Amino acid sequence: MTNGRDPAEITRLAIQRRMSRRTFLAGTGAGLGALALAGCAPPSGASSAPTTGGSSAVPSPASSGASAPASAALGDTLTLATWPNYHSQEVLDAFTAETGVAINVAVYGSTEEMEAKLRAGNSGIDVVVPSNYAIEGWVADSLIEPIDYAKLPDFVREDWNPLFMDQAFDKGNAVSIPKNWGTTGIAYRAGRVPEGVTTWKQFFELAGTTYKGKTLIVDHQISSFGSASVAMGYSLNTIDPTEMTAVEAMLTALKPKLFAISSDVQPPLRNEDTWLSIAWTGDGVQVGRDNDDVKYVVATDGGELWIDSFTVAADAPHRDAAYAFLNYITQPDQAAAETEFSLFPHANDKATALLPAEIKDNAIIYPPADSLAKLEYAVNATYNSPERAEAWARIKASA
Amino acid sequence: MTQQSGTVARADAKRRGGAGLLVLPAALWYVGFLIAPLIVLFVMSLGERSPNGGYAPGLTLEQYANLTSRITPLTNTLGLALLNTVICVIVAFPVAYTLALKVRGGWKLALVALVVVPFWTSFLIRTYAWMTVLGNQGIPRLLSGVGLGEIQLLNTPFAVSLGIVYNYLPLMVLPIYVSLERLDHSFVEASRDLGAGPIATLRQIVLPLAAPGILSGIVLVFIPVMGEYLIPILLGGGKTYFLGNALADLFLQSRNWPFGSALAAVFVAGMIVLVALYLWVSSRLVRSGREASLL
Repeated sequence: MTNGRDPAEITRLAIQRRMSRRTFLAGTGAGLGALALAGCAPPSGASSAPTTGGSSAVPSPASSGASAPASAALGDTLTLATWPNYHSQEVLDAFTAETGVAINVAVYGSTEEMEAKLRAGNSGIDVVVPSNYAIEGWVADSLIEPIDYAKLPDFVREDWNPLFMDQAFDKGNAVSIPKNWGTTGIAYRAGRVPEGVTTWKQFFELAGTTYKGKTLIVDHQISSFGSASVAMGYSLNTIDPTEMTAVEAMLTALKPKLFAISSDVQPPLRNEDTWLSIAWTGDGVQVGRDNDDVKYVVATDGGELWIDSFTVAADAPHRDAAYAFLNYITQPDQAAAETEFSLFPHANDKATALLPAEIKDNAIIYPPADSLAKLEYAVNATYNSPERAEAWARIKASA
Repeated sequence: MTQQSGTVARADAKRRGGAGLLVLPAALWYVGFLIAPLIVLFVMSLGERSPNGGYAPGLTLEQYANLTSRITPLTNTLGLALLNTVICVIVAFPVAYTLALKVRGGWKLALVALVVVPFWTSFLIRTYAWMTVLGNQGIPRLLSGVGLGEIQLLNTPFAVSLGIVYNYLPLMVLPIYVSLERLDHSFVEASRDLGAGPIATLRQIVLPLAAPGILSGIVLVFIPVMGEYLIPILLGGGKTYFLGNALADLFLQSRNWPFGSALAAVFVAGMIVLVALYLWVSSRLVRSGREASLL
């Protein structure tokens, strides 16, 4: 309905959302603090009808044919385990207005945290939005269920960008539908880094020399160890012992010269505590919008491309509501509104077409296809490699 | 006579039964939320990481053998916890002494209240505030303005120590204050009358009487600092790696529950030994204190 949010509004939202999506602290302990701080929704389990003041099932006349019929069978709540600042509250409210299903948004700082909750069992989570690398393991351990496309009558496969569908981690999208995708790139302060940075090789060289004490790498094995591997000419996904030893030695030597190993990317970049930083698409867009001096680039020597996808928990207590939600949220209108809010690119081409020019033509949000060619998806073997996990732990523990 | 003693015994049993009933909720609480989780923790530590993360049942001591790979975080944590506990004692004692013995009346109440005031604000928010103060736009900017050059404060071991001392100091001040507050001032006067100087009085009268408070403070500070996780992340920038961070990473990054459980089990065992030691020392202190006052 009110899709056309003006640019000033977007900037304002971007400023409000100072924290990076993965930020959020790992630090706050089991994500509880994240819930309290993110403040975007009542914590899971709260049965309060949030936001629109009463979740009475008044169908909103303006929302179009995409709607599943309001039905008592859906129940009255749904728990969505997702990232901070990832969903448009208007879209969630419209779903509630249409179906009578109130959405509890549970915010997590990482896929791994979502997984911990799912594995513990009885999480109450219905829909969860993991990154690509976790999906195979979750399927193997039956944490998520195959998507019953019969329950998504409005889903049109042809609307979706083949670049992000039918990937190796989920052939035929049997268990997952993309929510947003993005890159792991390099953010830098152009005023401080006049030569610019275009490759990971350059990034890690400069981090240990010219920009000693001014560089941040994220606290995430896949993104940081992976980007360092790319810098040394290896695959993002390397689990070769010799290559891993070389990457570990490089990062261990670099560690004392870093400003931080932290997934809270945005604050130090804004404060000029960091001049050079690993960052995810959203960080690049949000900080870049507020500050012309901050540039975000996708490295030309490779790096990480990722997709967060909607999946349905195998023990979802509100399965029907979960499918009604997926049917709704994957429609172009809703997907476009979500993208306008989160500023991460979407895999639904019809949604992308609905976006205002300053978003769909923004090369940071939607990088040109050829710049993505060298990027890799992190795979399950990387995510679950004990050797890589231990190498990363040794790097972090080193003096 | 036998009848009488029988009645007494029955009344005794009844009383004990009543007390038992009163203790029941607490006992259930501890069994359900302390003992049972510890058992789960131990059982899990004998298992293996399932190939996709989490826990797979097993009966192996392999995880314990792997613990050598976490020696660095352990020594880091021990070193910093000891150092910061000592700093806390050194900073807290004069404060508590002044509050207990030098300040009178309304001032005293106000100052003691001020020690507690920081607890009214969330720990997380106060620590975030330090990030701003120590960051590039804070003290380092002032210092470079005075011509002291580029100094990095945030994300250094110094910042971590500062954050720890700042956050845990009240937990040291309060128990010492309480023990000094109960100190009978005539002891101090007697000591001075008998010719002891201020230092001798401090060493021979005040410190021994404050010892139980200092000891409680040490336990209250040392144990939580050993488990500290947030301060190293926020003020240490993830570069100072504590045991708490190693544990969190094992569960939330590597998803190696058995190894994490083994590390946690050893940590818990260590802390139990420490608390036992504390109880033993403090009971001896109390006994010797009683003997001293008898003399």
